Amino acid sequence: MKKRAIRKDFYVEIRKSLGRFLSIFFIVAMGVAFFSGIRAGEPDMRYSGDAYFDRNNVMDLRVIGSLGLTEKDIEALEKTEGVERAEPGYSADMLLNVEGNHKVLHVASILEDMNKYTVEEGRMPEKSGECLMDGDFLKAHGFKIGDKITLSSGTKDAVTETLKTDTFEIVGSGSSSMYFTYARGSSTVGNGEVSGFIGVLPEDFGLEAYTECYVSVKDAKALTAFTSRYNAKVEKVQENIEAIADEQGKRRADEIRDEAKAELADAREELENGKKEAEEKLTDAKKQIDDGEKQLQEGKNQLEKANQELQNGKNKLYASQKEIDAAKKEISNGWSQYNAAKKEFDAQEAAFKEQYDAGMAEIAKGEEELTKAWDAFYSQKSEYDKGVAALEQAKELLAKLLASLESGALPPEQVPEIQAKADALKTEIAEKEPVLQAAGQQIEAAKAALEQKQQEADIQFAEAKKQLEQGQAAIETGRQQLEASRQKLVSGEEQAKKGQQQIDAGWSKIREGEKQKTESEALIAENEEKLAQAKEEYEQGKAEADQEIHDGEEKIKDAQLEINKIENAQWYVQDRSALPEYTGFGDNADRIRAIAKVFPILFFIVAALISLTTMTRMVEEQRTQIGTLKALGYGKLSIAGKYLNYALLATVGGSVFGVLFGEKIFPYIIVNAYKIMYTHVPDIVIPYNWEYGIMAAGAAILCTGLATFLACYKELASQPAVLMRPPAPKQGKRVFLERIPFIWKHLSFIWKSTIRNLIRYKKRFFMTVFGIGGCMALMIVGFGLRDSIFAIGKLQYGELQLYDGMVILDTDAEEEDRQEPIEYLSSEKAVSTVMEGYLKKVEISKGDEQREVYLSVPANLEDNKKFQVYRNRITKKEFNLEENSVIITEKAAKLLDLKKGDKITLDGQDGNKTELQVTDICENYMEHYLYISPETYKKIYGEDMEPNTVYFKMKEFNKQELKKIGENILNKRGALNVTYTYNIQSQLDDMLESLDIVIVVLIISAGLLAFVVLYNLNNINITERKRELATIKVLGFYDKEVSAYVLRENILLTIIGVVVGIALGSILHRFVIVTVEIDSVMFTRIIENISFVLSAALTCMFSFLVNAVMYFKLKKIDMVESLKSVE
Amino acid sequence: MGKTLLEIQGLKKSYGRKEGETKALNGVSFQVLEGEFLGIMGSSGSGKTTLLNCIATMIKPTEGKILLSGEDIGRFKGKKLAQFRGKEIGYLFQDFELLDNLTVEENILLPSAIHGDSRKQAENKCMELAHYLEMQDVLDKFPSQISGGQKQRAAAARALISQPKILLADEPTGALDSHSAKKLLEKINGVCKDFKTTVMMVTHDANAASYCSRILFIQDGVIFHELRRQLPEESQSDFYRRILEVTAALGGGSANVL
Repeated sequence: MKKRAIRKDFYVEIRKSLGRFLSIFFIVAMGVAFFSGIRAGEPDMRYSGDAYFDRNNVMDLRVIGSLGLTEKDIEALEKTEGVERAEPGYSADMLLNVEGNHKVLHVASILEDMNKYTVEEGRMPEKSGECLMDGDFLKAHGFKIGDKITLSSGTKDAVTETLKTDTFEIVGSGSSSMYFTYARGSSTVGNGEVSGFIGVLPEDFGLEAYTECYVSVKDAKALTAFTSRYNAKVEKVQENIEAIADEQGKRRADEIRDEAKAELADAREELENGKKEAEEKLTDAKKQIDDGEKQLQEGKNQLEKANQELQNGKNKLYASQKEIDAAKKEISNGWSQYNAAKKEFDAQEAAFKEQYDAGMAEIAKGEEELTKAWDAFYSQKSEYDKGVAALEQAKELLAKLLASLESGALPPEQVPEIQAKADALKTEIAEKEPVLQAAGQQIEAAKAALEQKQQEADIQFAEAKKQLEQGQAAIETGRQQLEASRQKLVSGEEQAKKGQQQIDAGWSKIREGEKQKTESEALIAENEEKLAQAKEEYEQGKAEADQEIHDGEEKIKDAQLEINKIENAQWYVQDRSALPEYTGFGDNADRIRAIAKVFPILFFIVAALISLTTMTRMVEEQRTQIGTLKALGYGKLSIAGKYLNYALLATVGGSVFGVLFGEKIFPYIIVNAYKIMYTHVPDIVIPYNWEYGIMAAGAAILCTGLATFLACYKELASQPAVLMRPPAPKQGKRVFLERIPFIWKHLSFIWKSTIRNLIRYKKRFFMTVFGIGGCMALMIVGFGLRDSIFAIGKLQYGELQLYDGMVILDTDAEEEDRQEPIEYLSSEKAVSTVMEGYLKKVEISKGDEQREVYLSVPANLEDNKKFQVYRNRITKKEFNLEENSVIITEKAAKLLDLKKGDKITLDGQDGNKTELQVTDICENYMEHYLYISPETYKKIYGEDMEPNTVYFKMKEFNKQELKKIGENILNKRGALNVTYTYNIQSQLDDMLESLDIVIVVLIISAGLLAFVVLYNLNNINITERKRELATIKVLGFYDKEVSAYVLRENILLTIIGVVVGIALGSILHRFVIVTVEIDSVMFTRIIENISFVLSAALTCMFSFLVNAVMYFKLKKIDMVESLKSVE
Repeated sequence: MGKTLLEIQGLKKSYGRKEGETKALNGVSFQVLEGEFLGIMGSSGSGKTTLLNCIATMIKPTEGKILLSGEDIGRFKGKKLAQFRGKEIGYLFQDFELLDNLTVEENILLPSAIHGDSRKQAENKCMELAHYLEMQDVLDKFPSQISGGQKQRAAAARALISQPKILLADEPTGALDSHSAKKLLEKINGVCKDFKTTVMMVTHDANAASYCSRILFIQDGVIFHELRRQLPEESQSDFYRRILEVTAALGGGSANVL
């Protein structure tokens, strides 16, 4: 009877307070849903991944043989314990020219059974030369089905060394189960990034050995991927395979060695043959050339001889010419002598002639004189004679005259005159007669003188004549002599002329000879040229042959070296973590778990607290009834039972609902959200994870149950009489603020009341603050996470590591090969700075703790300043890497619990432990580094540091150019790999993208939390204070004022909550960052101010929303109902 | 005695829907004059509190009009309604309904504070009322620290501070011991006389009712009797006796009334 009443009361109670019941139900449902749902998100992600792997038969292990794998290897693998199936395959990275960019394509053979492809369009390849192209790649680069692509190798080796054909027809596009995301992994060719894949038939590969073998592990399919059980299972098989790896490796190596040796021997023989052949050919050629040379030489010699002869002839000619010239000169001298002589002779002759003439003239003169003298004599004589005659005449005349006179015949007048005349004549005859007589005497004398003279003259004359005649004879001899010499000269001349003629004839002969010589010289030159050409050809041929031989030898040497290098094939046994983003998937699941550890708990706590307050409130409300029941004699248990059952029913119901709902919805959201990243993982497997459900439900039930029990217990302890009276109202209390009259006085009653209220309802105060603070904190964490990760790339590559690219050198390469990339970079115009360094993963330890870090040694401490900034994260104080510095990055220091001055140990020379004292700890976000100077390196390892890394910086960052430089570098033999910092940054961006989902989930959760908390607490608050509110309403408060009266408290609480949330959020953020971050990464601890502002704004918005809802609720308060006196 | 302050015309109020509808008031009409101390008596469930609540606008009548100084308060809405509640009427609850977290003084000042009356003026008024109600010494105390009588006097002060035209009191002495009740009633009576405030008091205590100048008896939602104290010749005790007689006649005995 009793029980029935109680039971009835129970059901009536639920129906009556359905709102409250549902409120507990839903709050618990929400808390449990969140808790179990988000917790389940982690395993569900794994399940989804696993479903995908199982469906596509994704390999468990991959064995890559450094020397390829043969059938024997596959057999051995199949026989290995734990191996279910071993499927061999081929793969190679090739380049595809897409509009000038060389994209790396991963060409893989399609396996029979494993690593299935999903065809999105078209079909799978069916015959050789067809391929299935990466759907993402196809879309991204605008290929179509039916297109043909031509691959290039990107290395010295031709494509056809690996593949049978380099042209493939795209027959389909799709995804490969090996790739979950857009990431396609890295490569050693091209720019080092794989852009896509194509799947081809195995027969398209022309390799003698498989490149890899995919292994599925027995019973692994049944286990879930990413779980330790799966990992353990696979690891065991991995170990089994590794155990046979050495043997197989050796066998394979021997095989290859033998083969290579045989080939090498063949090659050697071939080379030898070739060498011989070449030598023979060369010798022949040489001989021919030599012959030709000899002939040429002979011809030359002949020519020389002829030349000599010609020269001789010339010389002779010259000599004879000289002689002739001499002779000519002599002749001409002779002529001149002759001429001189002739001249002399002529002069003499002339002189003689003159003399002769003179003599003759003298003679003539003498004769003339004589003649004259004679003449004179004669004239004198004649005159005399005349005189004599005249005298005679005169005598006769006189005589006549006298006669006449005497005659006197004469007139008388004439007789005087004739007498005068005859008297003058008589005087004259008288005078002349003596003179004539003297003259007759003189004439006689003169005649004698003259005759003498004549005589003398005749003698003289004769003498002169004789002399002259002598002279004339001498001259005649001279003339004869002259004539002779002239004759001689003329004949000499004739001879000379003749000689000259001979010489001229000689010259013309010589000229002819010379012409011949020129001709033969031209001929010789021609032949010489021919010979030179032949020689050059020969040299070239020889050089070529030499080069070929050298190359061959080098190749053989290389081959030999390579054979020597064939150590024993290494087997790389990789598990799925070698697949791009596989680990990322697991990491993301882990991240979800880390988040699930914090947030749902927060939620759960709030839910528990709310159901706790609600139940407490309920029990308190019904104290009268409790009292009545107690007074009626019901047992404590049956009274409390009602409330406990009420709470349990609501909680259990809520929990079941929450689990059923939450474990489907939240994992779905999470897995689905991650599908944005894992585009090719379509599977969403969200089974119920009962353990989380039970855990959550159990906790919820325990919480509410306990809370209800405690509340009941408190009430039941009181006397019925006390219980039947209304609870003593909470006393108004003066608050501390009232002791500060300055502030208090200025507050209105409303504010005073508000403040007192806040402090009076402590439970509500704390719960609201906790709820709002939690909401705020959640959002701060959400935004803060983004800030923290977002900042990494910027800080790491913008402020700390300043290089744009890093080249890893092949340490096995030759020194000069290794120099090549460095030289290239130094000469590249777009590159501003280049620095070499040494980078190697080493293990350092402090005590028992060990960590792998990169040992980074810059080649030059001065250059290093341009590439690396060392600073304290908090103080931002920068420091340099000095000769004695040992700088370790912050995260590594934290993981090893290192402080400045602590000592770390690392393996030095010959494995000896070396201790180093940490001098500084520097800010760093990605990976761990230990920075030392080359000097310290030498101290540790006892040898000089040999650079294996090259860092470079662009003058101006240009992605295209940088990629091009990277490609050029990868073409150099010494470069193994190029890493770009922007690439890492984009990876970070991807990470952020996935985080955005988390942030959205966080914000929505936070909003829900804020809403639920505020709503519920407000509800309780309003119910509790209905009387008060009705009173002030009756007192004339406006609706708005009534709302404000309550909401003011909410606003204050929100503000306090926000402030608390900032603190709580910062702490939580730090916690989450530390939990979420992977060991190799340090997220920044920064939360940007905007994140605080945004979180606060959103929190206030949620709060406002609740207030708005409350406003309408307050408006509807029924004053009469509220003020009904408690009977 | 003065003019009509309040006029109730055919007031009806029913609760519930259709079937099971209970008529709390079934056509009540009366007038209240200025300065009157009107008592309303009736058995439990007779509808007396409903009547008071209708006048206080805490509930809306189903039918009928309530005119205060000629204005239909049933038409008041929003701000006007709140103003009416704050200025025109004062309400005295059986359980005082003082705000626990305000001191007595603050409680008293509350109505004036919300409607922005001058603080100084209100304080003076408060002091006056406190003095009149003999409670200056408890002004600084919280309601939980004072006695029931003091609380009700504080409530009265709060109801009077905005100088309402009418003071509505719902069983103000219900939670008080007889001494405190007597003191309070004397004060209310005094207020009525000294401040010329009209008082309308719901009670089922004949003793309390005997302070009134007029008493309306309500039964089953209608006024079935009216008593008027013959002032000044009739003494309070005579009036009291008359009241008892009426209540005894009501439903066959005072047991029903009390």
